[in-house]
Amino acid sequence: MPRNRNIVNAQLMNTKSTPAPAGDLHPLAAKSMSGAEVIVQVLADEGVDVMFGYSGGAILPVYDAVFRYNATHPNDDGSEPLPLIVPANEQGAGFMAAGYARASGKVGVAVVTSGPGATNMVTPVRDSMADSIPMVVICGQVGVAAIGSDAFQEAPVSTIMGACAKHVFLVTDASVLEATLRTAFEIARSGRPGPVVVDVPKDVQNTALTFAGQGQLPIPGYRARLRNVQSAQLDDAGCASFFDALAQARRPLIYAGGGVIASGAAEALRDFVADFGLPVTTTLMGLGAFDTTDPLALHFLGMHGTAYANYAVEDCDFVLTLGARFDDRVAGVPDKFAPRAKFIAQVDIDPAEIGKVKAVDWHHIGDLRRTLERLREYGAAHGIHPRQDGRYAAWHAHIAELKRVHALNYDHDSELIQPYAVIEAINRITDGHAIISTGVGQHQMWAAQYFDYRAPRHWLSSGSMGTMGFGLPAAIGAQFARRDATVIDIDGDGSIRMNLGELETVTTYGLPVKIVLLNNRGDGMVRQWQKLFFKGRFASSDKSLHTKDFIKAVQADGFTWARRLERKEELADTIAEFLAFEGPAFLEVMIDPDAGVYPMVGPGMSYAQMITGDFIASRQRAAGDETLRNDMF
Amino acid sequence: MNAVTQHTLTIMLQNETGALVRVAGLFASRSYNIDSLNVAATADPAISKLVLSIRGDDQAVVQIVRQTRKLIDVLEVSHQATAD
Repeated sequence: MPRNRNIVNAQLMNTKSTPAPAGDLHPLAAKSMSGAEVIVQVLADEGVDVMFGYSGGAILPVYDAVFRYNATHPNDDGSEPLPLIVPANEQGAGFMAAGYARASGKVGVAVVTSGPGATNMVTPVRDSMADSIPMVVICGQVGVAAIGSDAFQEAPVSTIMGACAKHVFLVTDASVLEATLRTAFEIARSGRPGPVVVDVPKDVQNTALTFAGQGQLPIPGYRARLRNVQSAQLDDAGCASFFDALAQARRPLIYAGGGVIASGAAEALRDFVADFGLPVTTTLMGLGAFDTTDPLALHFLGMHGTAYANYAVEDCDFVLTLGARFDDRVAGVPDKFAPRAKFIAQVDIDPAEIGKVKAVDWHHIGDLRRTLERLREYGAAHGIHPRQDGRYAAWHAHIAELKRVHALNYDHDSELIQPYAVIEAINRITDGHAIISTGVGQHQMWAAQYFDYRAPRHWLSSGSMGTMGFGLPAAIGAQFARRDATVIDIDGDGSIRMNLGELETVTTYGLPVKIVLLNNRGDGMVRQWQKLFFKGRFASSDKSLHTKDFIKAVQADGFTWARRLERKEELADTIAEFLAFEGPAFLEVMIDPDAGVYPMVGPGMSYAQMITGDFIASRQRAAGDETLRNDMF
Repeated sequence: MNAVTQHTLTIMLQNETGALVRVAGLFASRSYNIDSLNVAATADPAISKLVLSIRGDDQAVVQIVRQTRKLIDVLEVSHQATAD
């Protein structure tokens, strides 16, 4: 281990506020405001156009300031500039903010009260951290003097959130409230994005302050590291060693993750592939980073990824990892991931992801979009054009054959409605342009597999945390981000029940959200695992969801279009009518309760051991086939 | 080469509410056991100096150093390996 004793850098250690730079003064600079008014003004300055939250004692000053701001600053059409959308539960507000952020790329904002309001927000905060989603959560807190006294609705939010968020601020000094809020947005959206929690005691909200209109907290360590990463330019030697390795490869593959979407690098990736001809598989989080309908697209890889993507990973001899982290759902057995790859390259903005799970041969820590553009420039300048040279012709033919032979498939002859057919029917109409949110479980995987994703930010799903109940509130948030888009929540009966109260939020705000409930009467993914790994002992999964009448439930919440589909022959017409309805609509589809998710790479299995089920061709079964010899590579 | 040895990390930390808890919590949540921890004030009241020791192989220590550098109020992390 090399000794690495850093010399303390005087500039880095400067934690004192820097004097505000001379420049355009904020029109409200020097105005007297309460802490709550300062919060609302900073939100407005940061471009926030919707907030999600539930009120309560310790946040009431902020809510009142929002009310007054909206009353005095109406938009030209009379609407509120800062609408505050009220969920049934704070967890719903958190996932609405996350759905808004995922669909727009902007920072999602939630504002909740102290104690239970804040603790209900823990799950969305951790979920957003795990999926690198930018969010600012403002929590009310008991007064500064009451902190630590077990006061009414008190919770140690900075301690709890500190363990789950990118950062948490507890503002006990009202004079830094304004700078803290602004800094929270900076941290949430910069570098690897994530959620930032600002805990604001009620007396701080009520403190009389003077608005500065500018200024941030000194966070010299974070900013210095961020500057290093953002300014990191891949040098000629780095480009050269990358292309030298690529020149040795015959079967290169790109493995692209959510980082491509977070960094706005999808277009750069498309151009890179156009130039160099590397096929692309994405992670679940990366769906939409590369048009899944492209001939070189392999859809997504991993535990329930397409068989052809997983086989391509088995076959490739070079991997370019872009904003992905060899998560256990992708590389369950890291040593056996891409076993024939002689060279693995990785680009990420987070230094901690380099080599965390799997050692790589080449890496660059920096912005993805700029790195891809830099590689393209270098390739162009040095006459590197393997695609035009036909260098990968055999590999491309192999990829096309994998996609043909090992395509997703299911039981088309069953009398029962197959969930895959439902997704396909919707996809035929939406054509990869709808925004899809999901809960967690089988329906989530089916939605990932059977929809086309032509562009980033159309796939909203709790990837890392796997939070059931995500789909409905995320769809609500997404609809606020993309008011004209078709937003569809593909949900399961177990998942939707977790945040069922948000049905009423859809109708309260008149959102044209479409909800598809794939009902298999129980927790299908749990049953699938119990069948495979617990000899069919359905512990707990056979107990609930047998009696619930979802149609009555949604009608009670004001859905006028609510229908249960039980007959296969009515599928196409019903879905067309459902999607054509202008307002909120709810379609429950009673699906084959035994429908499974395939392919499946079980925990601890390599891709070679993937189970493909009864309807997708497996290589193991076709092992004798001359065209798919094992010694092909 | 990949042996478990004692490592000493020196962390310069902005003296913010909860900053120490975030450092300790990071080590705990990533399954690193802190063998010793010393926190001291510095000439600058806004900065604390943490010296902590952990056991781990090189890769584990590199990983926790990188994770520590992701904490917002961490100014610097330096690290010396100490042979047992």
